[in-house]
Amino acid sequence: MKLRSPLLRAVAVLALLTACAPGTGGGGGGDGKSFEFWSFSAINQKLTVDAYKAKRPDIQIKLTEVGTSTETAQSLTTALAGGKVPDLVLIQGDNLPQFVEQPQNFVDLRTLGADDVKDDYLDWVWRQSVAKDGEVLGVPTDVGGMAVAYRTDLFAAAGLPTDRAAVSALWPTWDAFIETGKRYKQATGKAFTDNAGTSVFYQAVNQVSEKYHSADRKLVHNTNPQVKAAFDLGIKAATAGITSGQSSFESAWSAGMAQGQYAAVAAPSWMLNTIRSTAPDTKGKWDIATIPGGSGNWGGSYLAIPKRAKNPQAAWEYIKEMQSPQGQLEHFVRVGALPSTPSVYRDGKLADAKDPFFSDAPIGKIYTDSLLGLKPFYIGPDSAVIGQEFLNAITNVEQSGGNPATAWDDALRNIKTAIAE
Amino acid sequence: MTATLSPASRAAPPPPRTKKIAGVGERLSAYAYIAPFFVIFGVFGLFPFAFTFYVALFDWNPIGDQVFIGFDNFTRMFGDPRFWNAAGNTVSIWALSTVPQLLLALVLAHVLNHARLRFALFFRMSVLVPYVTSVAATAIVFVQLFDRDYGLLNWLLGLVGVEPVDFVQSTWGSHLLIATMVTWRWFGYTTLLYLASLQSVPRSVFEAAAIDGAGPWQRFRHISVPSLRPVIIFTVVTSTIGGLQIFTEPLLIATGAPLTCGAVRQCQTLTLFLYEQGFGQFEFGYGSAVGVALFVMVVAIAALNYLLSTRIKAD
Repeated sequence: MKLRSPLLRAVAVLALLTACAPGTGGGGGGDGKSFEFWSFSAINQKLTVDAYKAKRPDIQIKLTEVGTSTETAQSLTTALAGGKVPDLVLIQGDNLPQFVEQPQNFVDLRTLGADDVKDDYLDWVWRQSVAKDGEVLGVPTDVGGMAVAYRTDLFAAAGLPTDRAAVSALWPTWDAFIETGKRYKQATGKAFTDNAGTSVFYQAVNQVSEKYHSADRKLVHNTNPQVKAAFDLGIKAATAGITSGQSSFESAWSAGMAQGQYAAVAAPSWMLNTIRSTAPDTKGKWDIATIPGGSGNWGGSYLAIPKRAKNPQAAWEYIKEMQSPQGQLEHFVRVGALPSTPSVYRDGKLADAKDPFFSDAPIGKIYTDSLLGLKPFYIGPDSAVIGQEFLNAITNVEQSGGNPATAWDDALRNIKTAIAE
Repeated sequence: MTATLSPASRAAPPPPRTKKIAGVGERLSAYAYIAPFFVIFGVFGLFPFAFTFYVALFDWNPIGDQVFIGFDNFTRMFGDPRFWNAAGNTVSIWALSTVPQLLLALVLAHVLNHARLRFALFFRMSVLVPYVTSVAATAIVFVQLFDRDYGLLNWLLGLVGVEPVDFVQSTWGSHLLIATMVTWRWFGYTTLLYLASLQSVPRSVFEAAAIDGAGPWQRFRHISVPSLRPVIIFTVVTSTIGGLQIFTEPLLIATGAPLTCGAVRQCQTLTLFLYEQGFGQFEFGYGSAVGVALFVMVVAIAALNYLLSTRIKAD
C-alpha cells in the first residue's frame, strides 16, 4: 500500500500513542472475580485457562491471544504507554529485559507473596525478572531447554545412524555437527539443517558462561571470545553448504520442513509444537538427540501483572495456582512446555514422558538433562537487538552472498548503530 | 469584494433586527456543520502531526523516561547508515516502479482511447481490478510467484536452465519484486487518469492527423503525449509521494524479518524504517525524527510540483 494521504497517518498513530504519558496511577478497583489475560497465539494457553476455570468456577477469565511473542510485547508496551492494560500478561524471555528496566510499570510481585514461592523455581530463570532494586516483576512459566530434532528416514537414506543415542554421539561438539552435515550433504546432495543463524549460532551463543554482558552488566559482546567462537561456528555452517538457507518461521522454512528439505533442526522444547503443527504428515519420522555441547537453554516466558491492572489479586491467584510445580507439571502434560520448577523434574509424568510424534523420544528426560550444568548469564535490554544483528550478519553470508571475512566487523558496526553507543 | 463596493451600498440601512439574528445563527450553523471534520482532523491529524516535531527532540521511551536531547536524533539520523540505506532503497524501488508504470499507463491509455476499440468499457474497467485488490492478497500471491524453491517464475527460469534466484534475499531481486507489485497495483489507476484526460482531446484532432497521413506512433507522440503533459506531471508527483511511503509490500515479503525486510535491510524503505524504530525498538523520538525527514522530502516534492505546474500553465 502506498499511503497517498501521507505521513499524517503514520504520524497520527505514532503521536497519539506517545501523547499519553506512561501510566503512573495505581491499580485495583476491579471486582476481584475476573481478570484479563494476554497470551501468545498458538501455544494452547486456552487449555490451561480452562483447567483453572474448572478449579475456580467463580472466576471469569478473558483470554486474548494477541499474536506472536514479539507482537504481544509490542502491544503491551503500547498499552503501558497509555492504553487499557490487561491484569495478567505473558512475556517471552527475550522481551523481558526491556520491561525489567522499567519496573515502575508492573506490580512488584513481592507485595503479593512472591518471596514465599521463589524457591520453587530455577534460580537463574527467576533472577531474570528481578529489577535493579530487587522488585520481582514476573514468574517463570516454562523454560526451553535444548535438543536437536532430526528425521530418522532421511538420516537412514544418507547412511547415518538413526538411533538417538548413536546420533547424539555423532555430534559432541558443534564442529562435529557441521562435519555430520557435510557427510549428509555428500551422501544425499541435500541440505542438512535449515539455517546457520538459528540452528547453530543462536544455540551455541546460549551455551556460554557470559553472553553479551559481563557479570557486572557491562557490554562485552565485541570482546567476549565465547561470542566470537559461536559466531565463527555460525559462519562456518553458513559457508559449508549444509543449510537450506531458509530463515526460521518464514513460509519457505515451513514448506521446507514439510517437504523434508532439511533433516535436522535445533529444537528447544517449545519447537516441538511448531514441528507438529507445521509438518503434521511427518509424524513418527522424527526423533530427538542431544544438543552439541550437551546443555543450554533457549526461550521460556514469564507472567507479569501491570501496575494499573484492575484485578491484580485475581491474577496473582491464577499465577500461584497454575505456576506452582504441580500446575506446571500438568501444563507440561497438556501442551509439552518444560516446567521452570525443578522439583517436578523427577516426577514420572515428566521423566517418563514419551512423544509418539518424535518416535517415542523421552522428551521430559532429554530437555531436563539439557538444563543440568547450565551456566546462567545476564541478559540485558539490548541483548535481543545484538543477537538479531549477529544473526542477520550470518544470514547475509548464508543467503545473500555476503563476505564471510568481513561478517564479524559488519555485525559489530551494525550493533553499534542499532544500540547507539 | 471591497473594491467593487460603492460608497452608496456601504451606507445602505441595516436590515431589521430579527432578521439579523437569524443571519448570525445561520452563519454559525455552517461552522457547526463543518466542525466534525475539523475537530477530528485536529485530534487525529493536526495535533499528532505537530506533536511529532516535539517528540523528535526527545529520547522518548514510551514506558520510561522522556529526556530532551535537542537535535541529537537528527544528528544520529544523518550519520546512520540504516537511514541512508532505507532512503536508497526507497529511491530505487520508486524508480523501478514509477517509470514502467507511467510508460505502461501511457501506452494503455492511448490504446483504450482508440475509436475502433470494441468492448472499450470492459477493458477500461478491468485495468482497475488490481487497484481494488487488497495489498496483502497481492503480496501473498507475488511472494509465491517469486519464491526461490516453489515459485512459478523460478520454475520457468529453470526450464531455460537458469539457476533459481532468491528474489527476497537479494537486493535487486527484492526491489524488483516490490516494484512489480506496486506497478501491478497502480498502473490501472494511472491509465484511467490518462484516459480521462485524453478523452477531452477532440476526436477530430486524431482524425485530421490520420487523414494527413500520421501513423499510430506519430499520433501517440504528437497528439496524445503533449495533451497529457499536465496530468503526466501530476502522476509523476503523486506516485513519487506515494513511492516515498511504500510500506506494506516490503513489510509482507520477508516473513523471516518483516520489520527490516530481510537480514541486511535489503528492501527496508523509509516508512518501514520509521515503523521499525518507532514500534519495533520503541525509540519514539528517533522514529519521529525519521517522520520529520520524510515530511521535509514530501514538502520539497510538492513544491517542485507547484513550480512545474505553474510553469506549464504559463506556457
